[in-house]
Amino acid sequence: MSNYNYNYNIDAKKNMTYDAIVIGSGMSGGWAAKELCEAGLKTLVLERGRIVQHLKDYPNIDKESWDWELRGGITPAEKKKHYKAIRTNWIGEGNKDLYANDEENPYTEIKPFMWLRAHQMGGRSQLWGRQTYRWSDLDFEANAKEGIAIDWPIRYKDIEPWYSYVEKYIGISGQALGLPQLPDSHFLPPMELNCVEKDVKARIEKNFPGRNMTIGRVAHLTVPHNGRGQCQSRNKCGMGCPFSAFFSSTSVTLPAANATGNMTIRPWSIAQSIIYDEHKGKATGVKVIDAESGEMVEYYAKIIFCNASTLSSTRILLNSTSNRFPNGMGNDSGELGHNLMDHTYRVGAMGVFEGHEDKYYKGRRPNGIYIPRYWNISEETKSDKFLRGFGYQGGAYRSGWGRGGNMDDFGADFKKSLLNDPGPWHFFITGFAECLPYHENQVTLDTNSLDKWGQPTLAIDCEWKENELALNKQIQEDAVEMLEKSGLKDIIGFDNKHEPGFGIHEMGTARMGKDPKTSVLNAHNQVHGCENVFVTDGACMTSNSCVNPSLTYMALTARAANHAISELKKQNL
Amino acid sequence: MSSSLIGLLQSCQSQARLDWEPQFLSTDQARLVSALVDTILPSTDTPGALDVNVDVFLDLVYHKMYDEEGQQQVAAEMEAFDRDCKNKFGKAFADLDAEQKVAVLKEAEANSPKSGRGVWGMAVEKTEPVGFYRSLKSMAVWAYCSSEEIGKNVLNYDPIPGPYQGCVPLSEVGKVYSL
Repeated sequence: MSNYNYNYNIDAKKNMTYDAIVIGSGMSGGWAAKELCEAGLKTLVLERGRIVQHLKDYPNIDKESWDWELRGGITPAEKKKHYKAIRTNWIGEGNKDLYANDEENPYTEIKPFMWLRAHQMGGRSQLWGRQTYRWSDLDFEANAKEGIAIDWPIRYKDIEPWYSYVEKYIGISGQALGLPQLPDSHFLPPMELNCVEKDVKARIEKNFPGRNMTIGRVAHLTVPHNGRGQCQSRNKCGMGCPFSAFFSSTSVTLPAANATGNMTIRPWSIAQSIIYDEHKGKATGVKVIDAESGEMVEYYAKIIFCNASTLSSTRILLNSTSNRFPNGMGNDSGELGHNLMDHTYRVGAMGVFEGHEDKYYKGRRPNGIYIPRYWNISEETKSDKFLRGFGYQGGAYRSGWGRGGNMDDFGADFKKSLLNDPGPWHFFITGFAECLPYHENQVTLDTNSLDKWGQPTLAIDCEWKENELALNKQIQEDAVEMLEKSGLKDIIGFDNKHEPGFGIHEMGTARMGKDPKTSVLNAHNQVHGCENVFVTDGACMTSNSCVNPSLTYMALTARAANHAISELKKQNL
Repeated sequence: MSSSLIGLLQSCQSQARLDWEPQFLSTDQARLVSALVDTILPSTDTPGALDVNVDVFLDLVYHKMYDEEGQQQVAAEMEAFDRDCKNKFGKAFADLDAEQKVAVLKEAEANSPKSGRGVWGMAVEKTEPVGFYRSLKSMAVWAYCSSEEIGKNVLNYDPIPGPYQGCVPLSEVGKVYSL
């Protein structure tokens, strides 16, 4: 096991000028920091919350349920503090400190929208689901082929080398399938399917030619890799991994950046806006609010990477007004803040599998199954009801003691059965559907509602429309049909009608495009009209595929950072 | 001492005791909760609910995890539960004999809707509210199985399983996993 005892330089006040500034230390910011630092650029990373050092700052890493006062439960006071994110039902005694304080960081829901934020070093890379999928040209070409919104300025061939680059470094486990709509990554060995999943897979693939079921592709090591250990199936990833087996920026990219000696990280630093110099015609630095003192300070650099997370990056650009950019940096098109997307969430089916009662599994696999998209991938699979498609995640499990409350009995026999019988096998699948980019799904600055630091907050106005609702309908119908034909019993279809945001795959609002008149960023994630500012988190997305986006953010970031390095060398920035 | 005698002594002790100071529950409510969890998860050759302080923990749950509205509601439900016992048998639940307790819980079991199935920590199946009995029973099971004694020494405790194995004979695992 490598030594993760890092010495982060947190005294950034000494030096106000750097080669590069990276706003945000999460999924994409960590990659920007690593690439820029490794190229020799003195880089300041701004983090709005506290420092989280790998291993050292995971206080709950070894705790079990009985070590918690409330065994993982949460008090009404904590619920109030997290009154937005509590709707996900994911916040508990052990991980509550990884979720932002919603009272200090309000936002307005013009229509219901669940915006989940993680305000500390590592950001949501500590909390993500770790599902890792490549996009294909089916995704990059969709807008152009269908005449939706605008075309992407890049294609699969542009990002493919960067997918490889990122995957080889972070380690992705999965099964190669050779599907054109879901290109294979460089895989470490796949995690195992359990016996029920193997049976259901065989039945689905027999009854539904063209549909595949595979183990989830995840950023978990199944063999030791780059000095990190393999997954030990504790499934406590959110508490931090003692084996560094899953990818997070705190465990992988930030330590790599730090090892160069070129990184300075400044915690408690809220990027308020990017400074634009009218004479130079480019950005010169970042205005930062010290989260603890409220003091405003300025840092300067040749290039700036904005990786604050989709909506926070757009908020910074909207705040960055100047004579050149009166409506926000890069907003000549009027598209800044628009075209917000997410994936639909928790629509599918579940049922009981009869058989394999004498089988169990060993370990708590932090992963499930995946059914890649099969609609609208060819002439034969074209739907007349919707554009694009969806993929399913899911899995089979035995219910264990968690079913106790619903068992019919009580007393000595009940207790014996609770302790010794793992209960029936359940199997479920739940879809993630692509959402189209609609101009009217947008965020705006709300100057009437200020946060704890006196800054305008965001008002979010976003809803599913006809196409997303049609996709959800198909998700449920197909899920029920697949489970029925696979012989499951006691099947229910479900649709929890979650509003956008629940997928926590918010994308868009500063989209890439070929034309500054219709987009905010160019093909290398540079802000149109201010090319030394790069936005490489989810804000840059021009459409949103149906697969989980983090891998694409990382690949786009590595690509943009290396473009920035090369342009700096050519003195073009 | 024979095991049945130990069992008898333990059950006598549990009948009588309220040897802990509730933080939220009244004495009557605490006696009800203790008697209920003892009937649902009695002490046998494995520890029972009272052996691992399920009642003490549930008091803490009501105290710290419930908001005021929830606390008022559960207090009213407890009162109603005991009132029904008094109407039927002339005594609060904690003071009924073993047979009467079983009769009360059989009825409660039959009349309590089940909670809906869930996906990733949230119900996806719409059902009727489960009511006081099933809610308490679910919490008692949680409190029992997540306690250190049961979680570590009675259930199959496997803190660092190693690489996931998808298909192993149940006989090799033996018991339900605690985590």
